[in-house]
Amino acid sequence: MSVEKLTSPVTGVVWKAMAQPGATLEEGATVLLIESMKMEIPVDMPRAGRLTELLVKEGDTVSEGQPVAEIE
Amino acid sequence: MTKNPPSELELRRAAARAMGGEEAVAKWHAKGRLTARERIATFLDPDSFQEFGMIAGKGSYAADGTLKSFTPSNCVMGRGETEKRPLMVVADDFTLRGGSSESSVAEKWIYGERMAHEFRMPLVRFVDSVGGSVKILEQSGRTKIPGYTLWPGTAMMGAIPVTSIAFGACVGLGAVRVIGAHFSVMVKDQAQVFAAGPPVVKQGLGHDVSKEDLGGYELCTQVSGVVNNVAEDEKDALQQVRRFLSYLPTSAWELPPRLTSTDDPRRRDLKLNDAIPADRRKPFKARGIAESICDQGSLFEISPKFGASLRTYLARLDGYAVGLMINDPMVMGGALTHAAAQKMERFVDLCDSFHLPLVYLVDQPGVMIGLEAERAGTLVAAAKAGAAIEQATVPWVSVIMRRAFGVAGSMQGPWNGPSGTSLNHKFAWPTARWGSIPIEGGVAAAYKREIEAAPDPDAHRVELEQYYHRLASPFRTAEAFGVVDIIEPAETRALLCRWVRDAVRLLPSQLGPKRRTLR
Repeated sequence: MSVEKLTSPVTGVVWKAMAQPGATLEEGATVLLIESMKMEIPVDMPRAGRLTELLVKEGDTVSEGQPVAEIE
Repeated sequence: MTKNPPSELELRRAAARAMGGEEAVAKWHAKGRLTARERIATFLDPDSFQEFGMIAGKGSYAADGTLKSFTPSNCVMGRGETEKRPLMVVADDFTLRGGSSESSVAEKWIYGERMAHEFRMPLVRFVDSVGGSVKILEQSGRTKIPGYTLWPGTAMMGAIPVTSIAFGACVGLGAVRVIGAHFSVMVKDQAQVFAAGPPVVKQGLGHDVSKEDLGGYELCTQVSGVVNNVAEDEKDALQQVRRFLSYLPTSAWELPPRLTSTDDPRRRDLKLNDAIPADRRKPFKARGIAESICDQGSLFEISPKFGASLRTYLARLDGYAVGLMINDPMVMGGALTHAAAQKMERFVDLCDSFHLPLVYLVDQPGVMIGLEAERAGTLVAAAKAGAAIEQATVPWVSVIMRRAFGVAGSMQGPWNGPSGTSLNHKFAWPTARWGSIPIEGGVAAAYKREIEAAPDPDAHRVELEQYYHRLASPFRTAEAFGVVDIIEPAETRALLCRWVRDAVRLLPSQLGPKRRTLR
């Protein structure tokens, strides 16, 4: 199982965690919502897999390209 | 009957075809790479290559003046065709001294580029060169002031389509030949493009950095944008350049070719009517909208990973080649970032130079804000993009799908244009909202005291915002003819396919280079 880090596509604030560590998710499922420019920008699963860790929590500020979750 | 020995011409041509020799070519193939000649053969229409300067190189001679051996130049150059349309191709041969300019015979590649310019045909560069070598000094016995007097590097950017593929590490002049193009592509995990490689960086700055970190595809196509697209392998790179050229005219003096389309120009995709979520905080998938509107399978994206809050496609409407821009709210909320502004400027110039009518599907929240954006000088990049739009004479239409706010929101198309007669032809979907100031932040600022004094400040603020949202209905703007029409999203394709038929009628009167090249 390869481990992959998901990164934030945008600078903003973590709005909501849509899944919790341990969850098995389909490709395209939303892991986190980042609030930026008054929009809810999703961080989606690039492929089906298991969410192993969230590297940020709701309310955290994140910058573009920052790792926000780990999947395998 | 005895056979005549091979003529001198045959011997020299055979040496040219052998390139770096059997061993060097075998080693090259073992790395999974194509030789310069194989790349050309894969790229062009069969049997269309007319090579020039095949026997340029270095001969070595016996004391009596007879030829002992011949080493060809490591630049393979000539005229060829794709889709039966002519072009010039100039390819570095890495199997000979690493493609170094030391043995390329500079006159040859420059001649190839000048010929493309003079004969008004696209230029295709296959760059695979280690760059210059200090040993060149030993050959010439002197140093030279950098530069190439006869190279029309800038002028041709306004005259002919210039494309490039980075096949390996491209340094210095090699890098310039890659980036000085309307469309560039680099092969993933194989090509790097930089001003100077790791050894020079180590010496100059003391930094240890890998080739891939310094000029790999992630940096070039996602961070700096110096190269447009990445290719999975060499054949993919060759195919992408063919595809790019299929939308463009042979030169600025000609029109882009129209293809026969089997897609009904009046096709209505009802999915479009629900493409924009009612909740204004929810983004949508930009590509799906572009696909619904354009001829099926006609989208070719340029710079997909750079400045991706703006998507730029070459596309077709009823077979006519167009440029299509659409804001992507999934990336930076769709804001006009520094990168997106640079991308917009280059794309508008490309379309204007080569007579590709422009369609802009707008969901623009504004110029990117915040410390990083201000430090990057985003406003200057936005102003330059705005200038590119205003200087464009190519026919232009915009459709506002959702937001159009602030300075970036005003940049939907030329307001007056260079001749002072541009229409700023624009339509909107019923989901559109616009203004100089977004309502949420605007209400909080203008009614600060009143909101603070209210018994329930939050409820009062929401009430005020709702009131202003009703005022901001696009239909009120349409009453005053502030927009040509509000249309059902599913009608967009039919509208644009009719528009493009009118637009292309203007193009013959706009042929030739436009008044600017690179801004």
